[in-house]
Amino acid sequence: MTRPVPGWREGAPERLYVLAGRPAPPSGGAAALDLVTLIVARAAPQAAGRPEQAAALRLCHHPLSVAEISAHLELPVSTVSVLLADLLADGRAEARAPVPAAELPDTELLEAVVHGLRNL
Amino acid sequence: MVRAGTSPARGRPASAPMWLFLLVPPAVTSLCAVAAVLASPATARTPVAWCGAAAVAAVAVTAAAAVRRAPRTGEAVRRSAEREAALCRRLAEQETETARLAADLLPAAVERLQQGAGVEEVLDRVEHTPGTDPGLRDIHQAVLRSVLEAVRAEEDLRESAHRAFVNIARRVQAIVHRQALDLREMEDRHGNDPEVFGDLLRLDHGNALVGRLADSIAVLGGSHPGRQWRQPVPLYNVLRGAMSRIRDYQRVDLHSVAEVGVVGPAVEPLIHALAELLDNATRYSPPQTRVHLTATEVQTGVAVEIEDAGIGLSDEARRRVEDTLARGHAGGIDLDDLGETPRLGLAVVARLARSNRFRVALRSSAYGGVRCVLVVPREHLTATPAPGGAVARAAVLPPRRLRTRPVPTQPQDEDTGRGGATGPEVARAAGHPGSGRTGPGGERGPGGPGVPGGGTPAVAGRSPGALPQRRRRAPAFRARPAAGAPGPARTAGTAPGPAGAPPATPAEQVAPGLRLAAFHSGINGETPAPRAGEPAPGRKGTAP
Repeated sequence: MTRPVPGWREGAPERLYVLAGRPAPPSGGAAALDLVTLIVARAAPQAAGRPEQAAALRLCHHPLSVAEISAHLELPVSTVSVLLADLLADGRAEARAPVPAAELPDTELLEAVVHGLRNL
Repeated sequence: MVRAGTSPARGRPASAPMWLFLLVPPAVTSLCAVAAVLASPATARTPVAWCGAAAVAAVAVTAAAAVRRAPRTGEAVRRSAEREAALCRRLAEQETETARLAADLLPAAVERLQQGAGVEEVLDRVEHTPGTDPGLRDIHQAVLRSVLEAVRAEEDLRESAHRAFVNIARRVQAIVHRQALDLREMEDRHGNDPEVFGDLLRLDHGNALVGRLADSIAVLGGSHPGRQWRQPVPLYNVLRGAMSRIRDYQRVDLHSVAEVGVVGPAVEPLIHALAELLDNATRYSPPQTRVHLTATEVQTGVAVEIEDAGIGLSDEARRRVEDTLARGHAGGIDLDDLGETPRLGLAVVARLARSNRFRVALRSSAYGGVRCVLVVPREHLTATPAPGGAVARAAVLPPRRLRTRPVPTQPQDEDTGRGGATGPEVARAAGHPGSGRTGPGGERGPGGPGVPGGGTPAVAGRSPGALPQRRRRAPAFRARPAAGAPGPARTAGTAPGPAGAPPATPAEQVAPGLRLAAFHSGINGETPAPRAGEPAPGRKGTAP
């Protein structure tokens, strides 16, 4: 998912802790942002902000999961979580609950149908 | 000199009454002898007279000899005076030459030696005053040689000490670099675990600090700092790279940064010099204050400003700092000059500034602290390879996809009838990796033309962020139970084209055993969409 990119190593002298702006993501914020939490941009990316946040906002023009943002930015999920947490705190982005796996019919109903079919 | 002038003057008056010297002593002696003869009794008169005569004769002979030798004595005196004068002159010349050796020749020779010339070469080029005594010249050469050899030995010692420093620093740098790569890999690997990730970041930070120290030692040892960069690096990343190497990076506010790139060879020196300046700024200002970092383009290049809100510099401190920087510019800084509590930072900055032609100035800040300006000359700058920084460049790919998106996004909300038109475009975009959102579009594309407009909003509501797999599974399931009760209106949205048109005709040909198999595969979610679309209506038709 976050494959190491040789270009990153050759091309960027900064380390990840500077990107996030703080040493470790707070556990509360990280818990709130699941891998599959969908993020939607609520504001246009600003030129003055962190470029990674601007890029994330551009990406999140349509809802995009944290995992996908992490993959696109080629940054670890925790770093992305911190960046996104700042965006969420500023109201520049919005988190949505992950899409339910599928709107499966109740298992009871299915079992009842299977039972009925067997009884045929 | 003075005595030489007086001695001939004494000789000349002696020569004039020479005859007096010849006559007076015998005359006086003879008078005394006559007086003695007259005074003595008659019996002793004869022997006294003989004695008087003998005395007169002796005095006369002595006087004659003295007078005869007088000119020769004067000559000797004059000659000795001349020799004395010559010796004094020579002594004066030697004094002058020795003073010249001490004042001019020796420093010049040592300087040439320090510039890398060999001892013999320097000795050959020493210019003695013409006419100097060859013996003296040889002695001076010998003095010069021994001094130069001592200096050379000292220089060699210092150089080898520097080499040892650099060597050790290079080893530390290699370890730090290796560790940084490892840590980056681990950070990627454990990116999902906030606690491990946080610990890794802390390790990474400490590692970067060690790396900076090693870089400083290498620079002070007369070498270049750390790694070399081949490609230009955006200034933004350079500044953040400098921030990564200081302890209190969280206190640094990175403001507007000029969109330029720094050419490869200047990247590492610039990062290191800025890191040292940032470190000073954060170290000498209260911990709750912020340090502002900006970079603006100026006529001669780019000026990077570091402004802190510390106590500022006293006049004396500023003089000392400027002295350090100036000595760095002149190349006079040494490991030995750093003192007991080494203030590496400014010495390193001075050295880097000298070798890379950065200009560094410290002024008072409006906040009361120090405003440090480092001007990067234009020769080190180039067009930025990645506007907004190299890390954000990784996100350029998705925006390109977004630019092709707006065409499908509008029909998504209003009308899916144009989905067929956007099909090829979306399919082209789907070639990109990770095309989670283009997948649904491509899937919908073929079926688009036949879909009634009312059926789509149900899909569009879920479509924007969902993954294709999820959406495929959802219709497959929804098609099944929906088939029983409400009719084709709901199924049309999910199983598009064929679902609407031929509802019941092929249904009777489906073998009864297949229904349950299809049902199970539907539950397991294995059925791909097209196959789910075709047999589905048949079963739908039979179910009621």
